[in-house]
Amino acid sequence: MLVAGVDIGSTATKAAILDENKQVRALSLVDTGANVVRAAERAFQEALRRTGLEAWDVTFTVGTGYGRYRLPFGDLQVTEISCHTKGACFLFPRTRTILDIGGQDTKAIRVNERAEVTDFSMNDKCAAGTGRFLEAAAQVLGLELGELGPVAAASRKPLKITNVCTVFVEQEIVMHLARGCPVEDVLAGVHQAIAGRSLGLLRRVGLEEEITFTGGVACNPGMVRALEERLKLRLNVAPESQYIGAIGAALFAWERAAHGEAGRQKNTSCAEAGTGPGGG
Amino acid sequence: MTSSYQHQGTGRDYQKNLLGAWYRRLENAPRDGTPVAYLFISGNIGELLRSFGFELLFPEVNALQCGIKKVSGGMILKAEDLGYSSDVCGYVKNDIGLAATGNRGPFGALPKPDLLVCTYSGCNTYIKWFEALAELYGARLFLLDVPYRRTGETQRQEDLDYVVAQLEQLAAVCAEITSRPYDPDRLSQSLAHSRAAEDLWVRILESARHRPSPFDAFFEAVFFMAPIYVLRGTRECVDYYEAAWKEIEERLRYRIGPVSEERFRVVIEGPPPWPHFRNFWELFKRWGVCCVASTYSKVGGIWDFGLRHDPARPLESLAEYAVNCYTNWDWTLRRQMLDRYAATYQADALVIHSVKSCRAFSVGQADVREYFTKTRGLPTLFVESDLADPRYFAEAQIRNRLDAFFEALEHRRLAAHRPEAARPGA
Ligand code: SF4
Repeated sequence: MLVAGVDIGSTATKAAILDENKQVRALSLVDTGANVVRAAERAFQEALRRTGLEAWDVTFTVGTGYGRYRLPFGDLQVTEISCHTKGACFLFPRTRTILDIGGQDTKAIRVNERAEVTDFSMNDKCAAGTGRFLEAAAQVLGLELGELGPVAAASRKPLKITNVCTVFVEQEIVMHLARGCPVEDVLAGVHQAIAGRSLGLLRRVGLEEEITFTGGVACNPGMVRALEERLKLRLNVAPESQYIGAIGAALFAWERAAHGEAGRQKNTSCAEAGTGPGGG
Repeated sequence: MTSSYQHQGTGRDYQKNLLGAWYRRLENAPRDGTPVAYLFISGNIGELLRSFGFELLFPEVNALQCGIKKVSGGMILKAEDLGYSSDVCGYVKNDIGLAATGNRGPFGALPKPDLLVCTYSGCNTYIKWFEALAELYGARLFLLDVPYRRTGETQRQEDLDYVVAQLEQLAAVCAEITSRPYDPDRLSQSLAHSRAAEDLWVRILESARHRPSPFDAFFEAVFFMAPIYVLRGTRECVDYYEAAWKEIEERLRYRIGPVSEERFRVVIEGPPPWPHFRNFWELFKRWGVCCVASTYSKVGGIWDFGLRHDPARPLESLAEYAVNCYTNWDWTLRRQMLDRYAATYQADALVIHSVKSCRAFSVGQADVREYFTKTRGLPTLFVESDLADPRYFAEAQIRNRLDAFFEALEHRRLAAHRPEAARPGA
């Protein structure tokens, strides 16, 4: 038996396929781009290809992320809050707080000892403090996203970035560079600005160890360091951090399948289905 | 369960007709020679003005009407063109935009004011708003200064005396404008109607204690509360609540509620996002959510806490009413109110809809959230948009938060009913 989770995010779409023992059999990632439906299909097919099996071997599929309502083949939709929690608690069972920084939003989630969401908080409408903020910085500095962390690591005197707006931060960066500030100090400042905003969200839900850091931005070691410095705590970061939402979705699919439910191969939101995911 | 019943829709339809007739009276006021007073909902002393023959106009109600009919966005832009900043209260900008475009809204044409009565009861925007209108219309402005209600203090007599003294002044102003003397008997008669309507309205509000609740104390209350806000003190207002109560009684009898299956009971704090009212409600209905108590339905009066207009003490009871309006209470009192609602109405959660441009409501809500989640252990959802400005409503995000919130509540509920070994993470 295989189950799948597809996480359609604003920047990247991720798929995870698990087997009956909850072992991750395949992961895949594609750019979401303009066509959400195609991205979901491509991510799913790519993961499937890696398992060497066929679509009918997948018993149940759960969709999550912003694009979940448009998933063409999902059996159930679950919000990314629930999926990140599921995935993070699966990989780090002692997780009590989750920080997820994605392309367009940042969320802090509080979890109890039964891996249930007890509270969450998200950034407001603007993209300040999200992956988009880092992308804007990378673009102005002419760097690849992957280079941001290592470059910032060289900083000795991080600058204070005062702007929280993704648009205005570009101007601020340009201004600092024009004044001759070293790139690494500017970048370290950007990381610290994001860490500061994340901290606000974490405090809103109440910080309790262990803290698991998920989402695409968790792949950036500069961000991990900036957060750990601010929190004075170590964070759980999985190599699969970007896939945690998809893994969580697949775990919901596993629970459904384990309770004998077969996928209907059609769109059904958990609300419309009248029962929440994980229900048996 | 019966799908249709004798009094179905009475509460909504009857109020719609009443409001329509009231707006027509306003439209005809200049022709009929009826004096018009503008005033605010919170802590309004409408009965006193009505006893002088004034027809009452509430700019806040016009603003919410513009919001729900989706024309507030244009009005707000108009006010911004005139120089009002994006941070100014959406209701104010809607009203300024309305005045600047000939004072004609979806409800018809509005008369100019003969008198502006600003009850300063908790929101200081009120003052600036009516000062702007006074200038715009060249109308007389009466500022009724209402002392703030603080925690740990019983109602102070000197506060009431202070308001009563101002009401006497106001009566003199009204007599001057209308050439009619102050008639305490007429006022008392009107207050007797107010009281009768208040009794009935409280009965409707408290019906939400039943399971399932026959009534949504936020999404439906905003319609049911309109007559007691704008027509309080009249016989027609009492008639309305008698009819509305019949509908509720019938719903109770047949166990009919606003959602087909009541799955979650919530308390709601904050006003609705009027331009997206329907969509917002739908997001809750999808999850079988019924609001069993709300603070917004109390901005016109917290009668469910025992307050009543009293024909035997006309001016003093008007003063008591003005001092005890929701926005004029400090946060501890407001939090206690929410606490009591959560307990007596057996709520599963608290929902805070925070309004970007309304500080009177929104400041302090983050602390309320913290109190309920951390001290009370009551799951609390915080969403933000605006009551009049459609630009602040990000439907995808709000929906995502709502879905995540009720999904988590449902998971916990299911897990609580599942044997230990089968629980995820167990
Ligand atoms: S700020 Fe809030 S309470 Fe004050 S007038 Fe505006 S909407 Fe009303």
